[in-house]
Amino acid sequence: MAKADPNQYVGLAARSKEGPRLVTGKGRYTDDFTEPGMLQAVFLRSPHAHARILGVDAQAALSRPDVFAVVTPEDIKRDTKPFRPGRYAAGLKKPIAEYAGAVDKVRYVGEPVGAVAARDRSTAEDVLESIAVDYEILPANTDVHKAMAGEDASLIYDELGANLAWQGTLEYGDTEKAFREADRVVREDLKIHRYSSTPLEPLACIASYDRFSRKLTVRTNTQVPENIYDALRDALRIDDIRVIIPDIGGGFGQKIHLIRKYVVIVALLAIKSGRPVKWIEDRNEHMMAAGHACEQHFDVEAAVKNDGTVDGLRFKEIDDVGGSISTLTIHFTNKLNNLSNTYKVQNIRADGYSVVTNRCPVIPNRGIGKPGMCYIWERIIDRVAQDLDMDPSEVRFKNLVQPEQMPYTTPNGNIYDSGDYPGLLKRALEKVDYPALKEEQAREREKGRYLGVGVVIGVEPGGRNAARDMAIFPEMKETPGSGGINGATIKLEKNGTIALYLGSPNCGQAHETTTAQVAAGILGVSPDVISTTTPFDSDVAPWGVAAANSGNNFHLYDIGSIIGAATQLREKVLKVAGHILDAEPADLEIADGVVTVPGFPRRKLTFAELGKAAYNNQSLLPEGIDAGLQTTFYYTFPHAQPNMVPGQDRRVRAQFTFGAGAHVAIVEVDPRTGKVEVLRYLIVGDNGTIINPGVVDGQIYGSAAHGIAVALGEGFVYDDEGQLLTITLTDYGKCSTAETPNVEVEHAPSPSKFTPLGQKAAGEGAAIPSPAAIASAVENALEPFGVKIRHLPLTPERVWQLIQEAQA
Amino acid sequence: MIPGAFDYHAPASLEEALSLLSANVDDAKVLAGGQSLLPLMKLRLAKPEVIIDIGGLAELNYIREDGDHIAIGALATYTDLAESELILDRCPLLAQAAVVVGDVQVRNRGTVGGGLAHADPAEDLPAAVLALDAEIKAAGPDGERWIPASEFFITMLTTSLMPEELLTEIRVPARDGYKSSYQKASRQAAGFAIVGVATCLKESADGTCEDIAIGVTGVGDVAYRAEQVEAALRGRKLDDSAIAGAAALVTGGVDPIEDVNATPTYRAHLARVYVERTIQAARAE
Ligand SMILES: Cc1cc2nc3c(=O)[nH]c(=O)nc-3n(C[C@H](O)[C@H](O)[C@H](O)COP(=O)(O)OP(=O)(O)OC[C@H]3O[C@@H](n4cnc5c(N)ncnc54)[C@H](O)[C@@H]3O)c2cc1C
Repeated sequence: MAKADPNQYVGLAARSKEGPRLVTGKGRYTDDFTEPGMLQAVFLRSPHAHARILGVDAQAALSRPDVFAVVTPEDIKRDTKPFRPGRYAAGLKKPIAEYAGAVDKVRYVGEPVGAVAARDRSTAEDVLESIAVDYEILPANTDVHKAMAGEDASLIYDELGANLAWQGTLEYGDTEKAFREADRVVREDLKIHRYSSTPLEPLACIASYDRFSRKLTVRTNTQVPENIYDALRDALRIDDIRVIIPDIGGGFGQKIHLIRKYVVIVALLAIKSGRPVKWIEDRNEHMMAAGHACEQHFDVEAAVKNDGTVDGLRFKEIDDVGGSISTLTIHFTNKLNNLSNTYKVQNIRADGYSVVTNRCPVIPNRGIGKPGMCYIWERIIDRVAQDLDMDPSEVRFKNLVQPEQMPYTTPNGNIYDSGDYPGLLKRALEKVDYPALKEEQAREREKGRYLGVGVVIGVEPGGRNAARDMAIFPEMKETPGSGGINGATIKLEKNGTIALYLGSPNCGQAHETTTAQVAAGILGVSPDVISTTTPFDSDVAPWGVAAANSGNNFHLYDIGSIIGAATQLREKVLKVAGHILDAEPADLEIADGVVTVPGFPRRKLTFAELGKAAYNNQSLLPEGIDAGLQTTFYYTFPHAQPNMVPGQDRRVRAQFTFGAGAHVAIVEVDPRTGKVEVLRYLIVGDNGTIINPGVVDGQIYGSAAHGIAVALGEGFVYDDEGQLLTITLTDYGKCSTAETPNVEVEHAPSPSKFTPLGQKAAGEGAAIPSPAAIASAVENALEPFGVKIRHLPLTPERVWQLIQEAQA
Repeated sequence: MIPGAFDYHAPASLEEALSLLSANVDDAKVLAGGQSLLPLMKLRLAKPEVIIDIGGLAELNYIREDGDHIAIGALATYTDLAESELILDRCPLLAQAAVVVGDVQVRNRGTVGGGLAHADPAEDLPAAVLALDAEIKAAGPDGERWIPASEFFITMLTTSLMPEELLTEIRVPARDGYKSSYQKASRQAAGFAIVGVATCLKESADGTCEDIAIGVTGVGDVAYRAEQVEAALRGRKLDDSAIAGAAALVTGGVDPIEDVNATPTYRAHLARVYVERTIQAARAE
């Protein structure tokens, strides 16, 4: 029997534990659950982008016998309290109360105005049509530039006095000096549009209230139980709350913020009706009102030396944050996470402007803010290269943080744990044989074929630190939760199997598989005997602030807590076994779930025998040890200092681990139709030590596919009146598998110096650099036409127009 | 996304279907493959009180030779069209258009009758049916009549079928010596046509265009024949400049529609490119 190695299963492409269940339709999602007497809810939504609510008449609905509860703006005002202003609204001069539903005004199409709970869904939908809302329509605001010019069509929040709701500045180093001393200044205006990840499972919730114990139970597909917990307590003043999170059909940031509104209102329907109430969001509702990634406008300037050295970066960012103040600065604050990208530039200044508009509120999306920051860097570096007539990769090499600088502290205080950025870029160029590719490109151009190559690089931050926001809001008095904490529980059962309880929900990223691999090595069992319990249940899960399936938390907090809990359980197993086998715990070995005394083949105990002893046989337990074989461990990142909380210099660790990836996109553009085809897409990635390559590759494929689709045209389109024109997946323009290239991945890991296995994040990964890679490749393809790519998305029509404009 | 309540009938014969339709003409909707009707009902854009499900009428499900025509029953699906030897052999343009409709599920359920009766301006089949000079059979309480494809599509979602009539068959003249191509521009592989062009042509050995028919979908509020292009090419040598010059006429007299997928200018431009490309592709067949 081989001696157990704690890393025995690390790096193994172990078979997916949850995959077979999920792909054969045996997953259990919120909609798969029913409760006795359960009602179905639907929401009444605003058809207008901006209007005052003068009155709501729900009498006809209420008088129907098959309708059990109705919520109107009056009920919201009377029966609920507004949410506490969140951290992203911290910069507001005056705090603004935001209720779960619209109370006096509607500020975007689809905003919830009321809700109905009826015996079945069809009835509930019938009844909606009988509720009369009297609206006074107000002019819609959909153009951030008008707001910046002080030309608001109307005020979205009277309290603010303007739709430009917030502005703030971050500065590190001395940008003025860098620009003063520059040989040249390269500038560009850039834009990223509104998009989302459109998860297949829309928002969902079942609420039930036990009026005897006053306990509220919600089963919902939130990514962040804490947000639901806080929202219910704030809005309904209920303390005893249980949040159950079954399988989730995709999160990507869609199920973090706005979902709380719906959970509160569904809970209110459950309280009013005295029955469990289910609500499943429609696709159209999801597109209109579940949240979009922010439309971001950037004015970018780089201070450049003639040899290609970039000494300074300045940008002005205008964010269209939609009709809510609760996520006002979310896309700007996240720029701190990769403010430097992979570059050693010391002087950086960012001026942020958040404009409220009559569009859907913004929320995070895979990498939030970071795809924008990477786009800023990678577009401007390409522009610098063109300006200096250098190869774009040459400019990158010149400015990359070097491997010997690791761990490297960025100007804003992020500490890059490890990485070889020049190595990644070099390998990517080698893999595609860049010189040969350029020759092929030149040959094909002569034949009228327009091939383009885009080569970019980006960091992938992981871990969380909400104290980051204090760098942006120095006036903040309390830290909004610094660092991260999350737990895990492991239990060796009586029959020798191992049960694992994670402290966070799972959106389909194969946490069951990965965590079992980590725990199995430490405990000395096969991953097959480990089962991870779903759903997440806040009553029993060991959860902390990092119990969020977001922000690339899993690799740090969940893996950290699994390691902690498994290590403690191993120690306990050895103590109990040592006592029974009459040996020193330090002399024992564990393999395949059997504890042995080396050299004494007969002196051994199986985990099942140990389990029986620990739970059933007091006389077998050593003195002074708790019975049972269950451990819970809460993990905090031990290297979170320095810069966990920003000081006067506003330097702060926005995240804690930093992976990276070099991306190469090779495209062909049909200049007559503007259609872009991605011929090849290659990533050389550093995700640190990889626990399960299949799982990590899955994350990379998915995030690359999304970033590519974002660049090529998926996105939300509004008309000037604030009506959303893309309420179906067809109009939204998502790439299908037919348009998605095969993504080639090569791993070139630099294990993290700060994490127990050297692991880094992988969840957001390729969504961060891929929009920039596509933009770069398309621009390169259209070089003969003189086309510059500034704004995304690159729909065929847009590309065609750019060619027309360049030729005019 | 759940339809309101409705009465459901599944008639056992065409005759029964027609009498049910006549009896409920103001409140009824015919259901074939459901690929257009059910989404509309779920969105509550359609709220029929009576559904007459003709999906089980075997008598309307066929593809067969009928003299010098190919006859296709209303319930033949897009998949049937795309895979039929007879169609591939005698009027392949129908198969070329059918095979790019939606995705596999849509093609397996969606029917020829439903697609044509629905008359969505972004559907593929109308372009092919127009280019092939098909005729459409309508059956009603007063018997049957034939409607030429050119008179069938009136405007967006409106055809010359009477409310109490069912589309029962289309027939296409089986012509020899023609070559054809259908191509569409769409947002994604399973997407509706932003522009779809169906071209069939006959050319002589020296490359002179003896006959050409071009059906265009997605561009205007109804599918149409690009008659100006056809006239400009008939009897002409099909060289690049003749084709390009003629293709520019594709939107003559048509107001290209504007939607989230394309502006009128881009639609008109694409129509022109696709006319050129389908002519070239047909010739290369
Ligand atoms: C996801 C998706 C993608 C699609 N993509 C495409 C595409 O790329 N290209 C394309 O062309 N189409 C596309 N469609 C539309 C679809 O192919 C057709 O609209 C549909 O197949 C129509 O046929 P059906 O049998 O399903 O009709 P149904 O939905 O059953 O009926 C449609 C309408 O026709 C009427 N009707 C049906 N049969 C008859 C009849 N025999 N006589 C009189 N009236 C009748 C019905 O009353 C109804 O009003 C797509 C649909 C979906 C859901």
